[in-house]
Amino acid sequence: MSSHLVWSIIRNNNAFLRKKRNINKPFSTEPNNLTNLSSYRYNGLVHKKTVGVVDAPDKKGFTVVYKKATKQNKPRQCIVKRTMKSGPRRSLAKLERLLKANKYRTDLTKAALRRASAVLRSQKPLPAKKQKAKKQE
Amino acid sequence: MSLATARPLVSVYNEKSEEIKEYPIALPAVFKAPIRPDVVNFVHQQLSMNHRQAYCVSDKAGHQTSAESWGTGRAVARIPRVRGGGTHRSGQGAFGNMCRGGRMFAPTKPWRRWHRRVNVNQRRYALASAVAASGIPALVLSKGHVIDQVPELPLVVSDKVQELTKTKQAVQFLRRVKAWSDIQKVYKSQRFRAGKGKMRNRRRIQRRGPLVVYHKDQGLRRAFRNIPGIDLISVEKLNLLKLAPGGHVGRFVIWTETAFQRLDRLFGSWKVPSAEKKGYNLPQPKMSNTDLARLLKADEIKKVLRVPQKKVVRRVRRLNPLSNTRAMLRLNPYAAVLKRKAILQTRKRLQKKPVAKVAAEKAKAPEKKKTPTKKTPTKK
Repeated sequence: MSSHLVWSIIRNNNAFLRKKRNINKPFSTEPNNLTNLSSYRYNGLVHKKTVGVVDAPDKKGFTVVYKKATKQNKPRQCIVKRTMKSGPRRSLAKLERLLKANKYRTDLTKAALRRASAVLRSQKPLPAKKQKAKKQE
Repeated sequence: MSLATARPLVSVYNEKSEEIKEYPIALPAVFKAPIRPDVVNFVHQQLSMNHRQAYCVSDKAGHQTSAESWGTGRAVARIPRVRGGGTHRSGQGAFGNMCRGGRMFAPTKPWRRWHRRVNVNQRRYALASAVAASGIPALVLSKGHVIDQVPELPLVVSDKVQELTKTKQAVQFLRRVKAWSDIQKVYKSQRFRAGKGKMRNRRRIQRRGPLVVYHKDQGLRRAFRNIPGIDLISVEKLNLLKLAPGGHVGRFVIWTETAFQRLDRLFGSWKVPSAEKKGYNLPQPKMSNTDLARLLKADEIKKVLRVPQKKVVRRVRRLNPLSNTRAMLRLNPYAAVLKRKAILQTRKRLQKKPVAKVAAEKAKAPEKKKTPTKKTPTKK
């Protein structure tokens, strides 16, 4: 059924919804959500085409997960994973090209790039904070 | 009407979760029924009342005394008090809901209306919605079931499953069909109930897992019943409380082949009324095409709309012409001329002033010299 229909059923009531006090925007923990916000655009379940960006299994680079639009009812065959290992600039460019060239959810490109950069940044070694503490002592 | 939405073919999987390519089944029309979570919720609520057992207070409770009020004049409240003496109980208040040992306010009665009736059509509507929702991966995922690796939704399995007798075989089957991760989730969710239910024989709770719908039980029930989270129903007795637990649509359902084929006869399609439910036809949706995005881009609709106004008109701040020269000039361009004139005039006036002043001083000064002044001269 159309994504709009499913969204209006799900929007206020689903297993991934996270609402907390004093925070106006509800979050969502479903796997293919680029911003983790619970909204129609970013929802990872409702649409025929979805983009997800995850940490690559060996902690180097990230994996792009996207849905095949034709295999809607077959969850096992639906998802395609592509790991981007080359350095940050190249993988981000690859991501962007992947989405734009296939006209695949171009409204998500910015969010996808952001998430990919965040993943890459998290993989960089942490800056040496311990030295500073020693000096102060 | 695009209600006759294409009835895609659903492949049947054998117990080893391999696709039997020879005979896919056309999706029964129920799966295209409108999904109405409000109807489902209402019907679920009503139906779940039907399993209730009555509870009430004993009707003698609080009245097994012959208490009578002492009346006025005894410096005590007028509540009926227990007669007699020789025990703590004598003289204590009785009968009232405020008294210790008295009967409660509005004692609960067994003839409370425990059960609810629901219109047959509503019940069927809710069932159809629940079945339809079980065929949409997004809804089943949103309910929390783990179906990422399931080969197809709705999941139809060959009838051999009905002949399974051992739980071990059942587990193996679920593993092969990739439904086992849903059951693992059930295992992880096993916990003690919060609250007094613990002492009332409802100690443990767990999630709901997959629902297996079969046509003929040839051992299936006994094989599957010990697996936590699994529920089993026969197609003939589809139960909303099982198909939409909690009143929420989207349970993960595993159908056996014959059961799946029975659905068409049970519910019919919009063209063909149901063969088994007298005079029943699937509910009509309010919108035949729910894809909003496509509707809004469609030519038929665009034709009727006016041109979109993309320019954003924002509120302009109102400026007071009396204090803001540019605002004044916008209204009255001649004001520039007037102003200029005024400026020039004052300038001229000021130029004349010093000359006049000097002349005035000269006139004053000699007068001052004549009179001796004790005053100190004021500085200028």
